Amino acid sequence: MGARLCVEDLRVALDPGRVARSHFTLEPGARCALAGPSGSGKTTLLRAIAQLTPAASGRVLLDDAAPEALGYPAFRRRVVYVGQRPALAAGTVEANLAAPFSYRTASNAFDRDAARRHLEALRLPTDVLARTARELSVGEQQRVAFVRALLVAPDVFLLDEPTSALDPDAEAALEGLLDADRDARGSSAVIVTHQTAQAERLGAARVEVGA
Amino acid sequence: MSQTIALGWIDLVVATSLVLVAGAISVALRLGLEKRLAVASIRTIVQLGLLGYVLRWVFGHDTPWPVLAWIAVMIGTAGRAAVARASRRYGRIHLDAFVTLALTALATTFTVTSVIIGVDPWHKAQYVIPLLGMVLGNSLTGISLALDHLLESLDAKRELIEAHLALGASRWEAARDPLAEAVRRGMIPIINSMSVVGLVSLPGMMTGQILAGEDPVDAVKYQLVVMFMLAASTALGCIVVALLAYRRLFDAAHRLRADRISAASS
Repeated sequence: MGARLCVEDLRVALDPGRVARSHFTLEPGARCALAGPSGSGKTTLLRAIAQLTPAASGRVLLDDAAPEALGYPAFRRRVVYVGQRPALAAGTVEANLAAPFSYRTASNAFDRDAARRHLEALRLPTDVLARTARELSVGEQQRVAFVRALLVAPDVFLLDEPTSALDPDAEAALEGLLDADRDARGSSAVIVTHQTAQAERLGAARVEVGA
Repeated sequence: MSQTIALGWIDLVVATSLVLVAGAISVALRLGLEKRLAVASIRTIVQLGLLGYVLRWVFGHDTPWPVLAWIAVMIGTAGRAAVARASRRYGRIHLDAFVTLALTALATTFTVTSVIIGVDPWHKAQYVIPLLGMVLGNSLTGISLALDHLLESLDAKRELIEAHLALGASRWEAARDPLAEAVRRGMIPIINSMSVVGLVSLPGMMTGQILAGEDPVDAVKYQLVVMFMLAASTALGCIVVALLAYRRLFDAAHRLRADRISAASS
């Protein structure tokens, strides 16, 4: 159940010749919150862990295996990054949620009932599956993007301000889903959040982003 | 081909007066176009004049080298023009456009001249150069549209493409839709012109052949070959250039390298 994520002395280059650095190990079921002032490179580091941005040095291991050994798409299937701004394609919410199950790395099938359960738990209207994704509000899209990641059932979630557009009610619901997934499957999470309270609620260890 | 009426130099001077009509309208309505019109007219005279003499010289030499040299000039110019029309760039985009045109335009042109028309010798400039010119003209339009659209959509849809990658899509799975859309965009003009050909426009080559006294049905046969040749070369060109750009903009770690795309400086 779950997998251990090691981030070993990972450094990324930021805009004006600055560098952000991070070093931590995340056991199955654990959480950590990347902390640091705005512009310190938290998002860039999170993207580098997901292998979406080239790192300057250091490495990332999942159960002692490097992404290049696992295959980058297969690694990302198990370490899913959810960006701060929800990125949904043209088409219905259902089509968006089902899309990852058409990739070659998919090992499970799209579970429509689970999708509906998660969406309802996040206080979205019952007909949302058939709605056009891009007509939803940003807060609604953010929840759909989270459910899309949840359905993929990764070992590690990389969440960049996952509740920035949500009201406290929906925020608590999302944290509840994350907890339930950890209890059921042992998933872990790396979170970028500006709220100390959220990090505490999720039991996330604070990881300072250094230079 | 016997009914051709050759034009004398006096006829050309008279034709020049037709451009003066356009110039006079520009002056009368203060369009401010007379200077650009004059420059464009002089360029037309000089470029076509040079072309006439270069081609006469090339036609007069029955060896492959002058033909090949002229082909290289044509492909190089077409490659630059294809990139110049795109509003975004990446490193080596000129090389990719050049390689694309060289591969696809030469393959289709020589298929037509050597296999269908049966030109002998294979490098006979009278056939090879006009046909290659038409192929390049159409291919470069298609290629520049495809490139322009591809770079624009990779830039604009970056977050969506990365969302696919982040959920375990391979670079090919993430790029497939933008690539297909770019090829589609590149092929629209040639498909449009194939559907109205003969009804709205008489193609330039056919017009020329008829003016030169050719039987219209024979001219149509040539035109059919040409249209299909243009469709094939444009389709191949768009696909090849899209794949080459894909290789540069998605790296081995299945990442979209949007940082390699830049706006055209001009």
